[in-house]
Order: sequence, then C-alpha cells, then structure tokens
Amino acid sequence: MTRKQILFVVLGIAALIAAPLGQGNYIIYTMTSWLLFSIAAMGLNLTLGYAGQISLAQAGFMGVGAYVTALMTLAGVPWILAALSSIGSAFVVGLLLGYPALRVQHHFLAFVTLAFNTLLFLVLRNEEEITGGSFGLMGMERPTVFGISTDGNLNFYYFALVCFLVAAGIMWWILRSPWGRAFKALRENPIRAESLGLKVRRQTLLAFAIGSAFAGLAGALQSPLVQFIEPSSFALNHSLKILLMVVVGGAGFFFGPMLGAAVVILLPEILRFTEGYYLIIYALLVIVLMVYSPNGLIGAGQKIWSKFKPKHEARRDLEKGFQL
Amino acid sequence: MLKKLIGSAALALVLAGSPAFAAELKVGSIVELSGPGAAAGVNFRDGVKMGFEEINATGGVFGSPVKISEYDSQTDPQVSRAMVQKAIDDGVHVIAGTVFSSSTVVNMLVARRAGIPQFTGSEAPSITGMGNPYIFRTAFGSQKGVPKMAKYMAEEMGVKKVAVVWANTEFGKGGYSAFKAEAANYGLEIVADIPTEQAQTDFSADVLRAKNSGADALFVYLTEEESARFLREAQKQSIGKPMIGETTLIGHKVIELAGEAAEGAMGHVGLTPDADIPAMKDMVERFKQRFNYTPDHNAIKGYTLAHIIKCVSEEVGSPDSAAIAEKMHGLTLTVEACPGVLMDVSWDETGEMSRESFFVEVKDGKQVVRAILPPN
Repeated sequence: MTRKQILFVVLGIAALIAAPLGQGNYIIYTMTSWLLFSIAAMGLNLTLGYAGQISLAQAGFMGVGAYVTALMTLAGVPWILAALSSIGSAFVVGLLLGYPALRVQHHFLAFVTLAFNTLLFLVLRNEEEITGGSFGLMGMERPTVFGISTDGNLNFYYFALVCFLVAAGIMWWILRSPWGRAFKALRENPIRAESLGLKVRRQTLLAFAIGSAFAGLAGALQSPLVQFIEPSSFALNHSLKILLMVVVGGAGFFFGPMLGAAVVILLPEILRFTEGYYLIIYALLVIVLMVYSPNGLIGAGQKIWSKFKPKHEARRDLEKGFQL
Repeated sequence: MLKKLIGSAALALVLAGSPAFAAELKVGSIVELSGPGAAAGVNFRDGVKMGFEEINATGGVFGSPVKISEYDSQTDPQVSRAMVQKAIDDGVHVIAGTVFSSSTVVNMLVARRAGIPQFTGSEAPSITGMGNPYIFRTAFGSQKGVPKMAKYMAEEMGVKKVAVVWANTEFGKGGYSAFKAEAANYGLEIVADIPTEQAQTDFSADVLRAKNSGADALFVYLTEEESARFLREAQKQSIGKPMIGETTLIGHKVIELAGEAAEGAMGHVGLTPDADIPAMKDMVERFKQRFNYTPDHNAIKGYTLAHIIKCVSEEVGSPDSAAIAEKMHGLTLTVEACPGVLMDVSWDETGEMSRESFFVEVKDGKQVVRAILPPN
C-alpha cells in the first residue's frame, strides 16, 4: 500500500468509528445492517468479481450462518463459538454445493445456485422441529465481549464494526495471496491460467467456498442484530439484493461491495422523505447508474476521474492491428 | 451552559404546567407499504389515516391534533425493526401496526424495551402468548376465530366429515393446528389433509383429492390469491360441497379475483364491511369516498385502532405510554362511550381482544351475513 492509501484507510476507519456518535437508534441500527450486508457482499465479490462466477445463493449461505448461530446461542453456546461454527458450516456447505455445481459456469451456475437457495428456504421452513419453520426463531441474546454487553445498539455497532474490519482485513490478505492472484487469473483468461498449472476447478471451488464463509459470518451477525430470523429473510430476493450490491458498487473492486451495500441499504432510507415514491426513485437511480456505468459506482467514478486527469497520449503505433 | 440548562429547565416547567400545549399525542404507523404485504398494509394504513383525520377534524385528542408519522416496513422484519427504532427516536407515544406477524414479533421486542404500546393488525396466535405487556390486538387472534367457526360447522351445519386444505406458511399452520384441535372437540372427522404452497397456481390435484375424500364440507385456509385460484378450480371440477374458510376465503379481494367461482363460499370474519351495523356501513361509505376503493377488514382494523387510541388516551388523560398500556389491560370500550370502535370490544391481560363476529356467505358477489357469533 502506498502512504496515501494507508492514510485513506485510517481516515475511513476513523469516520466509521465517529459516524454513529450522537445518532439515534434508528441510524445506528441501519448502519449496522450496512456493515453486515457489506460482509456478505464482500464474499460474493470474491466469487463474482474476482473468480467470475455468478452465485444466486449468497442469502442462502447467510441463512446457514444465521440459523447455526441462532440455534447455538439459544442453546447457551457463546457467540464467538457459534459464529466460528457458522463460518465453518457455510464454508462446508459452499464446498458441498460447489463441488457438483461448478461443473457448470456463468449463468448455468446462477441457475444451480438459484435452485439451491430455493431448496434451502424449503428445508428451513419445513424442518419445523429444528428451525421453528415459518414461525422462525427469536430472542437470540446479543453477545458480551470482555464483560461489556453489546445489548445497546451503539455497542453492537462497534462489535459489528470490529467483525467487519477483521473480515475486510482477511479479504485484503486473500486477494494479495497466491490464491487471490490465481482467482484473478481465472477470471481474465482461464485457458492461460490452466496452462500455467492452475487447477481451474479447485480454485473456483475455493473462491466459492470462501465467499460463502463470509456470508456465514454476516448471518452470524444478523441473528443477534434482528433477534428474529425466519426462512423468508434468506429467500431468493435477498440473494438478488446482495448481487445488486456487488454490481452497483463495482464487481472486482475491493471497496465496491461496501459502496454497493451503502447504496442498497442506505439510499432507500435517505429517500424515505419522498414517502410513496421512495422505492420508485431508488429503482430509477439504479437503472440509470447501470446504463451509464455497467462497472458500478467505482467504475463510474473512474470514468469521471479519467476525463479530468491529464493523461499520456498512448503510442498508437504500438496498438494491436495498427497500420500505417 | 448553565444558562442553557436553566433555560431548558424553565421551559420544561412551563410545558408541564400547560397540558394543552404539551399533550400532543404522536402515533407511529408502521405498516407494509411495499413488498408482499402491501395489499393488506395499504388498507390498514388508510384506515388509520382516515380514523385520525376524522378525530383531528373534531378537535383531536387533548385539544390538539394527533400527529401521525408513517413508516414502510417493506414486509421485511429487518427493515421493520429499523422503522420501530426510528419511530421511537422520533418520540411517538403509541405504535400502530404491523399487519404481518413476522414483523410484529420483531417490533414487539423493541417497543417493549422502550415501553411503547403497540397495536397490531396481526392475527397469529403466538403474539399474545409471549407475556409482552405492550402488545394489543385490533382483531382477535386466529386461535379464537377457528373455534367459533368449527362450532358453527358442527352444530348449525351438521358437518361430520371434513377435508382440510391449508397453506404451508406461518399463517396457514396457525389456522390448521387450531382447526385440528377444534375438530377433535366437536367430533369432526378430518378425512383429507391437504397442505399447499404459497404462490401455488395449479390446484387441480388438491381439488380432486378433496372432492374424492368423502367429506361433507371443505375447510379452506389459504391466503387471498391462492383462495381465489382454489375456488376457480373447485368450480371447474364442480366440487359440490360447501367450502368454509376463515376471513381470507370470503375476502373482497378473493371475490373480485374468483368472480362467479366465489358464489356460495362461506366463512367466519371478525370484521366485515358488509356487516349489518349502521356505523360500519357509514364508515365504509366514507372510506370509499376518501380513497376510491372498498375497504377490507384490515382497513376497518386500522380505523377502529385510531379511535381505540383516542378513547384510551382520553381515559388516561395524558400521552403517557406506560399508563396507556396499563389502562388497556382488561379494558372494555363500548360503542356508546367510544363510537369509533364500531362494535363493543374488550381486551384481556395478554392484550388479546374479544368481539362479536360474523358467519357470512358470498351471494351475488357480496358477503351476506348468515349469523352473528358471540364473543369468546
């Protein structure tokens, strides 16, 4: 990282720490929702943006995490153990689903994951003895960390913020590890990557499972945040919402999913003052953005920036297919 | 700083001394205005709105108009929780809504912590069974409606064998298990048990099973759109058995969607715009003029809710959330004392309510009241 980037990250964290101070419960709660969906979207960004695979089951993996945490904390297990189990089970389910599913790619994979999400919804609803069926589970306690209860919304926000920063740090590390570089190589040119000795299937499977594990963590936070979970909170439309976050923010950019989650979670809340029209305006803004910049907000930002930035005139004689 | 403190203390004293100024009642209306619950939520919201508009036109509560703020829960429990937080941050004294019980159970937790009474439109039995002293119903729970109806089926209609068609959702399961228990009580034999899916479109196999089950009557417990599809299929296969439901089967939306196929369907409703009560008919007419559509039971719940809040706050004498919640337990509001409730109503210690209700049949595209069932 350059010195400028480090400064930028430190300022960002400081802003996140200062943001909820003096705000009402509603704003703090909504910001916590944003942190949690950012984590899930970061995971999907790894699958979609870096490994190039469309998954429509991210909410399903959140569901796995949320239910595991809910059931364990309701049984008296501390949150941290429950959360680790959530991450672990989402990872394992991701592997189990990915192993057969990744025989197909792109939009075929989207269909397989879509089916998985629907299946998971039905299992959560019908296995009433374990999951509470459509009545859901409620009353999950918020965790106590080092003797400090996170029952209050502000405390829980800082708790989620720590989880978010840890998750973001791990993602940063993954992307710079040999794995991350392998994921990118696969997205850019799978044939070339394979010729260099990368096992395409194993790498995509790994990306898929790690992405799912992030959703597991998000789910583990959602249980104590809402203190109520039901199968329809993890249905297909929520998977599409997370996909929208990644695409709106900018797939394949590190900060894309966080920005995207901010747009998807916070923008409708900001637009609420328009009352009956807020969802219409929100939808229009998203459509306009996608038409103008398919690379999402970060892509749009880069587009605008490059217009103002003085640039070197490229040597056109070096372009492919150049003729005098 | 000190000046500021003294200033605000003085202001607080002045405010406390002049109740007419300080006693503005604030109500937060948290309902499903988008998402799958929008049809029910909009009805409820419009009912609340009209109720308070009328109250404000006649001088409001405590001599000043009631302030209502509306919040859209998007039929999503996570968003709904955010909206309750927002309403409480905005300083509301009472919360109206939500209609869908998955949102209501989340909202209850938050409202209870803040000590704000919440008047819900949900009918899921579990809501009043959690020992929450701040929750109150505006329509009695489905666990109360089903016994009334099972009794009527067994005693008045002479049904012995029944086929049960139900939706495999929280709503459907609640009604289904209540019916199963009551069927055993009244000696009704369940000869076919047919669960269906939410958003199911093809009911041909289900209708066929019910038809061939040898039942005297069908008990149909589905949500509105599925009810309409079921009725159409039943007509296609000329089922020839009475079909009896709870609130939804004979709802206005269903009659509109199913058309002729809804003729002859029967059911129990807690509140119906077609009830033979002048005050109710009046309210329905005013509603139609104001919003250009026929209100359903959710709109009536919303309307009566506005008047319940008005009457109970006036009995308490100040916009004191805790005192309002306290007062509600064991309260009875009669039509003489509080005309806006439309029918006499009372609440028990859990916030559950009782009221007379109706057994209706669809004739010529309208609900016709066959019997008035006593409160239980």
